[in-house]
Amino acid sequence: MSESSVIGAGTVVSGHVRGQGSLEILGRVEGDVSVSGNVVIGPAGRVRGNVSGAQLTIAGHVQGDLRGSEAVLLERGARVAGDITGPRVGIAPGALARGHVTTEGEPAAAAHRPAPAVRVPQPPPRVVPPPPKLEVRAPAPPVKAVPPPAPAPMKLPPPAPAAIKREPAPPAAVRYQPPAPVAVKPLPPTPAQPKPERSASDAPPRPTLASDMEFTPVRPIKPEPRRPPPPVVPVLSKGTKAKKKKSQD
Amino acid sequence: MAGTVIGEGLTIEGDISGDDEIVIHGILRGRLTTTDAVTVGGTAVVGADITGASLSVAGQVTGDVTASERVDIQAGGKLVGDIKAARFTIADGASFKGNVDMEV
Repeated sequence: MSESSVIGAGTVVSGHVRGQGSLEILGRVEGDVSVSGNVVIGPAGRVRGNVSGAQLTIAGHVQGDLRGSEAVLLERGARVAGDITGPRVGIAPGALARGHVTTEGEPAAAAHRPAPAVRVPQPPPRVVPPPPKLEVRAPAPPVKAVPPPAPAPMKLPPPAPAAIKREPAPPAAVRYQPPAPVAVKPLPPTPAQPKPERSASDAPPRPTLASDMEFTPVRPIKPEPRRPPPPVVPVLSKGTKAKKKKSQD
Repeated sequence: MAGTVIGEGLTIEGDISGDDEIVIHGILRGRLTTTDAVTVGGTAVVGADITGASLSVAGQVTGDVTASERVDIQAGGKLVGDIKAARFTIADGASFKGNVDMEV
C-alpha cells in the first residue's frame, strides 16, 4: 500500500504518468505527468512534458508547463521552460524559468510590462512638430519672388516646405508657377517615407539650420503621422504675410 | 532504496527503461526494460513485455517476459505470456499461461 511513487535516477519513462498519490522523479520522464498528490523533481530529474499536481517542487529540469493546485516551487538549480500556474509560485535564487507565470488572483503582475513600452514611442512625435514651423518661416523669401500668383500659394500651403528644398525651380519658371505647386504635392510624401529608413542620408540636406541639428535624429524615426498638421499652421502665417506684403506694395 | 516505485493508484502508459530496480504496485501499460530486478506487487496490473534480471510476480502480468536470471510467480500471482529465463518457479496458488523457454 505505497501511495508514493518514485522514478529512480536510472529510469527513463517515455509515456504518460498519472494517478493518485505523490510522485518523486529522480530520473527522466518524457511525457505528461499528472497526479493528485505532490510532485518532487530531484536535481537530476528531467521532465519533458506538462506536470500537474498539488504541490510541485522542482529542482531539476522541466520542459513543459507546470500546474500546481496548491503551489509551484522552483528550487535552486531548477530549470523550467514553460508556463507556471498555481496559487503560490516560488522561484528561489539560482532557479531559471522561462515562460509565463500566473498566480491566481494577481493577473496585474504581467500587465505592467507592456504599458511603459507603448508610452515610450509616443513622446518623440510630439517634439517633432515645432521644428517644421521654423523651416516654413525661412522659405517665406522665395514666396516673395512670386507675388502675382499669390492666390495659388494660399490654397497650397503644405507644399511650401517642400518647395524650400527646390528653390531653383520657382525662379526658373515664373509663369509656370501654377503647375509647380501640383508637382510639389507629391514631393512631401516621398521625402517623408525614406526618412525613417534612411535617417542618415536625409539628414544632410537639413543641416542648413543649426537649430535643427538636434532634432534631425528624432524626425526620421516617427514624424510621418504628425507632419501634415504642422504645415497647416504655417499656411496661415504665409498667407497673412503675403497679404500684408501685397497691401504694403 | 528501490530505484523506481510505481505506487498503487498510479498509471503509466508508455515505456519504462533504465538500470534501476523497479517495483510496481500500480498500473503499467507499455513496455518495461531494465537491467535490475522487477517486482510486481499484489495490487499491480501490468500489460507489458518485461525484460530484466529477475521478475517476481504477485499481481497480474500480461506480456512476454525475458529474464537473465530468474522468474518467480508468487501465490496469488497471475502471468499470461511467454517466459524466457534460466530459472522459473511457480508457487502453489499461482496461475500461469504461456510457453516457457529455460534455454539450458
